[in-house]
Amino acid sequence: MSKDGSSMVYPTLLNHAAKWARKNSLWPMPYGTSCCGIELMSTLSSTYDLARFGAEVVRFSPRQCDMLIVAGTITTKMGPVLRTIYDQMLEPKWVIAMGACSSSGGIFDTYSVLQGIDEIMPVDVYVPGCPPIPEGLIHAILHLQKVIDQGLPRNTAEKPSYDEAINAMTYKKYVGPKSQYVVTESGVLPNR
Amino acid sequence: MNNLNDNFPSDYVDLTDKIDQTKQGNDFYNPNVLINLGPSHPAMHGTLRVMCRVNGETIEDAKCEIGYLHRAIEKLGEVKTYHQWIVYTDRLNYCSALNNNVAYVMAVENVMNITVTERCMWIRVICMELARIIDHIICVAINALDMGAMTVFWLFYHWREEAYTMIESMCGMRLTTSYARIGGMMYDFPDDLIPRLKKFVENFPKAIDEIEGLLTSNRIWIDRTKGVGKLSAAEAIKYGLTGPCLRASGVNVDLRRDRPYYTYSELDFDVVVASGGDVYDRYLVRMEEIRQSVRILKQCILRLPNGPLWVDDKRVRIPDKIDVYTKMEVLIHHFKIFMEGINVPPGEAYTCVEGPNGELGFYIVSRGGPKAWRMRVKSPSFMLFQHFEKSILKEKIPDAVSILGSVNVIAGELDR
Amino acid sequence: MVKEIQNKANEILQNTFASERKFSLDKVGEPILWANGPKDALHLIKKFQDHIDLKIDFLSDLTAYDNTDKKDGEGRFVVVIQLLSMQTFIRIRLKVLLKANEEMETLTNIWPAANWLEREVFDMYGIIFAGHPNLKRILMDERFHGHPLRKEYPYKQREPFSDNTKINLSNSTRGSSSHE
Repeated sequence: MSKDGSSMVYPTLLNHAAKWARKNSLWPMPYGTSCCGIELMSTLSSTYDLARFGAEVVRFSPRQCDMLIVAGTITTKMGPVLRTIYDQMLEPKWVIAMGACSSSGGIFDTYSVLQGIDEIMPVDVYVPGCPPIPEGLIHAILHLQKVIDQGLPRNTAEKPSYDEAINAMTYKKYVGPKSQYVVTESGVLPNR
Repeated sequence: MNNLNDNFPSDYVDLTDKIDQTKQGNDFYNPNVLINLGPSHPAMHGTLRVMCRVNGETIEDAKCEIGYLHRAIEKLGEVKTYHQWIVYTDRLNYCSALNNNVAYVMAVENVMNITVTERCMWIRVICMELARIIDHIICVAINALDMGAMTVFWLFYHWREEAYTMIESMCGMRLTTSYARIGGMMYDFPDDLIPRLKKFVENFPKAIDEIEGLLTSNRIWIDRTKGVGKLSAAEAIKYGLTGPCLRASGVNVDLRRDRPYYTYSELDFDVVVASGGDVYDRYLVRMEEIRQSVRILKQCILRLPNGPLWVDDKRVRIPDKIDVYTKMEVLIHHFKIFMEGINVPPGEAYTCVEGPNGELGFYIVSRGGPKAWRMRVKSPSFMLFQHFEKSILKEKIPDAVSILGSVNVIAGELDR
Repeated sequence: MVKEIQNKANEILQNTFASERKFSLDKVGEPILWANGPKDALHLIKKFQDHIDLKIDFLSDLTAYDNTDKKDGEGRFVVVIQLLSMQTFIRIRLKVLLKANEEMETLTNIWPAANWLEREVFDMYGIIFAGHPNLKRILMDERFHGHPLRKEYPYKQREPFSDNTKINLSNSTRGSSSHE
């Protein structure tokens, strides 16, 4: 701070320093449920080393991490668990939806799969692929680093409230092909 | 402790009033603590949940809960056509996707009474053995990682990447391959695959020796795994276990030798059987099975015949692209195969193969038409995890972690 | 070799057991024997276990399928039991035709492996197994209503699990029954 009280230089530099520190030490919380989890393991292992981008510490405690990588299909049974983990993480936190299943439900458009984790939490980066190859995930993390650097607002999806998130095991009004059969008292009849 | 929520098992008995009343009902002295190795846990084993009631560090009672990855794959089998469902088979046991593809395609061919060509059979055997190698690599590497031996994980994973590169040159995708088709395979082997395979089978045994040198006579490994999770042969049969866990308990059953399919009756390999049934034996069985798979691969490379890849059956053969673009009937045939689906006659068949984890079975009930009436996947991990509840009683919590690693539960297969 | 043993076993089955029951072969030559009801199925399994040539001792799979088009008889569900022998490696498939609310006998006393398999059949189809120690849902959430693998359950229809479950359910139009 200069003598007249103006403090132009230090806060700006501190901002940059904070951004630089945050983007280069993104500690991931790997949330690998299915096949994308195996590619996440490949990314973390020696051939495609994720540690060189700062994601060295893979501690499975949400309180110690600032980047949640959701790799794999999230079902309606798993949704509340994922939301709890997300809530336990401390700000600032970022979410990467790795793979098609966590971005939009993927090939599983069924009764038990969440069609994308943005039904229950705001997502920053979506990584397409089924599963995305490790280079894809690294590209996503570098993109996230750019996002942090530019200071863009964190939510790219509409952030649902807590109640909406819990209620998101979700009654989407069913619009689709009707079932062929209907059960009545006189038995199972074809649905005309 | 008293604010029970519905995460607790429904038969949980609240023991607070049964303890010593002089402690004024203080929960602190209650010896029974409920520990939830929850669906998100620090082991890359997939989403499963084990609720254990522990007394100190010994597990008194355990209940497992699955279903956190239930993606309705069997229901989708009734909605999608037979070809469209091949993609879903990769996602069952995603560590060895090639094996599932081949097993499913074999099941559909059995219902249609199709026999594939020689070259296709040998290629499928190569795929299945490669899948077995990479699945066993993952199992041993993750087992060691859970117990703190990170070096094994880094070393072994490099070979998995080598195998992935080969698989990528075969079919374009590393993990979820969708390589098999009904009546043949998606593409034939590229020209550089056989030389690559040759180099792989030459160099890989040295890596297995290296890993075995790190683990097999390692005092720490032996202390942590010998005598842990003992499983007797009779119990293994009663609980429906198959695969390396069954063979580690002394039961000499391997579907490749006892109910051979494809060219396994002509191949020369040994079935690995151990006698203890504990985690150390399962590790030894898996390492030796990797060696036997390499042996099988060597024989397959030598005996791979040239010839047509696709069976000459009009019902399933996807025509060559050059004909599709030049001949009208072939174009219409191609259109019908992909838009309507192949027509499978009514009937049913239960086909199972010896997967890396055990007996993987596909039970297909067909009432005619392009879609199955019932597509049932019999997954080996289901039976293995069912037994896991019983096998961790009276063990300590870290031992439960090593048993979980040795059982090789893949959540995709467990919940389908 | 295996084919000959399997064919011999098929003959034994046909001669000894198929007199009052339906018997057929599937597409790969494995036998399908229709039991005359749940108790008959248990009785047959015991006979298979004690039979000197069959020596069945392993439960491969226990599943079910829907019979809404009545091609397998007048019942609603068909429970399928895959059996294997660890000594002779023959396979036998046992099928039981059940009506809509009929209960099936549990196999957990013979093979503990059937425990979770029967829970899964209950979860997916709603078939109750009499005598099962712990018949709860296994793959779906416990608050789920409906049995997904039944033919009338649309594959995309999702179920709300929020606290206002009751409110949402009254607006829904579903034809599936629930055993909760």
